[in-house]
Amino acid sequence: MSDNQQDAVENPDTTHFGYREVPRADKEKLVRGVFDSVASRYDLMNDLMSAGIHRLWKRFTLELSAVRSGQTVLDIAGGTGDLAAKFSRLVGPKGQVILADINDSMLKVGRDRLMDKGASGNIQTVQCDAQSLPFPDNSIDCITIAFGLRNVTDKDKALRSMERILKPGGRLLVLEFSKPTNALLENAYDLYSFRILPLMGKLVANDEESYRYLAESIRKHPDQETLLEMMEDAGFVSCDYHNMTGGIVAVHKGIKA
Amino acid sequence: MSRGHDPAVITAVLAAVETTINKGLSLAPVAKRDLGDLAGTVIGIECTSPEVAITAIVEPSGQLRLSHYSERTMDTKVRGSLEDFVGLATAEDPAAALINGGLELVGNTAPLIAVQQIITTMDLDWEAPLVDTLGDVVGHQVAIVLRGLFRWGKASAESFKRQLSEFILEEGRLTPPAAELDDFYEQIEQLGLRVDRLQSRVQKLARRIGEQKP
Repeated sequence: MSDNQQDAVENPDTTHFGYREVPRADKEKLVRGVFDSVASRYDLMNDLMSAGIHRLWKRFTLELSAVRSGQTVLDIAGGTGDLAAKFSRLVGPKGQVILADINDSMLKVGRDRLMDKGASGNIQTVQCDAQSLPFPDNSIDCITIAFGLRNVTDKDKALRSMERILKPGGRLLVLEFSKPTNALLENAYDLYSFRILPLMGKLVANDEESYRYLAESIRKHPDQETLLEMMEDAGFVSCDYHNMTGGIVAVHKGIKA
Repeated sequence: MSRGHDPAVITAVLAAVETTINKGLSLAPVAKRDLGDLAGTVIGIECTSPEVAITAIVEPSGQLRLSHYSERTMDTKVRGSLEDFVGLATAEDPAAALINGGLELVGNTAPLIAVQQIITTMDLDWEAPLVDTLGDVVGHQVAIVLRGLFRWGKASAESFKRQLSEFILEEGRLTPPAAELDDFYEQIEQLGLRVDRLQSRVQKLARRIGEQKP
């Protein structure tokens, strides 16, 4: 049963925001509040929280994309633009990278960072909702969404929207926190997420609540097999996933038929 | 689910190796230029023990990109154990190491040999980063000292290797020289051939005797 189906059975009018049940219409606003709060220190916090390992997760995601020169790539929830900058080099001047995010604050930080890195010319920024992507059908070669899907209210709708705009043969890569494969690691990870992470958020970003939400939203996100089923239900074929760092993170791949 | 090693671990190792090689190349403009001439070359490396597959791609900028996953068409694919790859990486004559070693090769060997030679023989110019950091005068002086130390170290290592080799072969007679070994292997091969011929003759004679019996 997918995440949204599960929500609908429990209460069709509410969804989860971390461990809280909130009206579906409010989740977007609440998530926006979290990312408005963390935008300026997002990269720093990512480095601190993951001890820099998020760069390795993203690097492997880039490899799986197998993006070539001249292709069009959409990076949804692209935030501060670290993946977009690397895609920009891979697709070259004949290709195009679209950095999309629903959050204006994150997009502004991303745009500034990309300019600072000298990545421009083949990058566009678009503020949009992953559930209703404003792009023509069959127009994108590769879509990536890194650490963004868990914040989307209706994940099934978002996956269907991504499937619609991908070209046949195009691929979707979902990089997201998942379920550790080892019980011992899971216990250590829980301790880290609920004790240390909010404390780091308080010390570095002066925002304990936002980082507590991040930890809670990870636990509420579908596990590896559930997300795989959701991608298949959305119409993707040849779906597969790779666990990384003991399943703390997984990257799912699906191809549009 | 795709099984095997944790991609994050392999990616970490590859990122470290790639950064080291590319840092080295940034200090060796000639090697970087030569590598740039091989832009687009894709080499697949499949290690059987430990089991891991990587792809090395030469960028137009003269840098190497190492990846754990690649869908690029490979010019050369090499398969072997870690020991075989270390042997190839450190070989003075990579062509001989490829032929005589335990590596399996598919495709064109020339790009692999060219990349190996450029990487292992690159001449690092330490002066540029030192001058950038310490200034013209101090940087230049430190570079002279470092260059002298490296030259002395290299010469000492080569001299030690030569003397050790002479002692093992000539003084101690601890191991036979390569020429003697080759001669010994040749004699064994000849002996094997003679034994085969003799065996054929014996079988022929046995057949004849069998035919002559009433």
